[in-house]
Amino acid sequence: MRLNSVLRLILDYRYDSPFSSAVPTNLDRIHMTTTETDIATHEWWERYKEVVNTDPEMKVRGHDHFDENFAVTIGDEQYLIKVDAGMITDIVPNPDMNTDWAVGVEGSQKAWEEFMQENPPAHNNEIIASNYRTAVRGEEDHLRLTGSNKTFFQNLRPIQRSLDLMRVAHNKGGS
Amino acid sequence: MAAPVHGEVEEITGKYVGVEIEGVTNRVYFEEAGPEDGIPLICQHTAGNHGHEWRHLLADEDITEHYRVIAYDLPFHGKSVPPTSQEWWAEDYMLTEEKFAETIVSIADALELENPVYMGSSIGGNIILQLAHWHPDRFRALIGLECGTYSPGYFLDWFHHPQVNTSEVSAYSCWGLMAPQGPEWARRETMHLYEQGSNGLFRGDLYYYSVDHDYRDKLDEIEPGCPMYVMNGEYDFATDPDDAREVADGIGEMATAIEMKQIGHFPMSENPALFNEYLKPVLDEIRGEDVDVPEVMTPEDVEADLRETTH
Repeated sequence: MRLNSVLRLILDYRYDSPFSSAVPTNLDRIHMTTTETDIATHEWWERYKEVVNTDPEMKVRGHDHFDENFAVTIGDEQYLIKVDAGMITDIVPNPDMNTDWAVGVEGSQKAWEEFMQENPPAHNNEIIASNYRTAVRGEEDHLRLTGSNKTFFQNLRPIQRSLDLMRVAHNKGGS
Repeated sequence: MAAPVHGEVEEITGKYVGVEIEGVTNRVYFEEAGPEDGIPLICQHTAGNHGHEWRHLLADEDITEHYRVIAYDLPFHGKSVPPTSQEWWAEDYMLTEEKFAETIVSIADALELENPVYMGSSIGGNIILQLAHWHPDRFRALIGLECGTYSPGYFLDWFHHPQVNTSEVSAYSCWGLMAPQGPEWARRETMHLYEQGSNGLFRGDLYYYSVDHDYRDKLDEIEPGCPMYVMNGEYDFATDPDDAREVADGIGEMATAIEMKQIGHFPMSENPALFNEYLKPVLDEIRGEDVDVPEVMTPEDVEADLRETTH
């Protein structure tokens, strides 16, 4: 069993309830070391949640009706972003079969790191751009949309905005 | 780029002209700026949008000093309402390559433009291949922005689905086509213009863009009678700078490929200050000036300040 899988089992247990503490734990530090990045740590997700929930654009043009959970898969790690009334209510690592979502975004660690750069490189600068290079051009290390296309297009802007806000949470980059 | 001060009237004027297309007369709106005897430069907007995308070009006095810039709205778009003689509401709007090329030539004919320069972006960029192929002697030069031999993947039913917010989706499906270095007000204005398109227009134009337009095996059939410039932005994920080079290589010595750094699919509206600077040497060369037109253009080359653009 690979180290990541072992850690996932431990984290599953640790995170049977969503992030309830802002205090970093030893497991958080292990996770950071394993991924060699500060993306998707406990603190990182907490910061991200706050950025999304205080973003003015998520509250206008009907985006406060956004209530579609979506999954984010970074390499081997998956997280469920639970949403209600345009706000992130929970972020659940390694969601189990009691959870539900219709759309998601997946990609390699490299793809996400490029996506989250302060000024992201061409074709990994936004979800549709990145998905196009995966789905139409067949290129590697770009993001891919998963799940229901209908649900995605019904919620395109708030999902897109939520993903772009990862750059703000990560390094105060452009959104 | 700045708004006129209170009471100042801009030099841009708007008029309507009758244009016959496939036997149907259309009332076509166009805006223009520049001297009446200037070199006509007609500007084609992107899919589902309208001529207002070109407002910053129309306002650039360096360009209107020599060129009569004309930006029109395709029939059904912007102020060019659908033809009153047709029951257009009973069928899906759909743009074909034949209809698109005929429309552009017919607008130039209706305005009695002699030897005009044509420029367009996206659908307007791709169509330079049909214009060069089918009307090789009608234009003084062809400038294709964001042009490729083939641009699949965007003819999507979600763009007219009753359970989708087609206004917002038509716009923000294009958000990532723009370079993040552009001023946010300009990128947001581009989205604002997109959200004004009627339901079905974006999808109908994209039928041409992603289905009907396919020159992958036909570039060698094009024998252009005028210079062609293929200018693609670094951040255009649908038709990137390599696609521009493919087009130019396939056409031959009459075509020039130019890579535009830190710009995307909507050069004239997403970063107008930078794009206008990129365009000026091309326009200078077209009017006979001996200038250097770089194969790769960067902001440093044109000394444009991306972040201090006024508006």
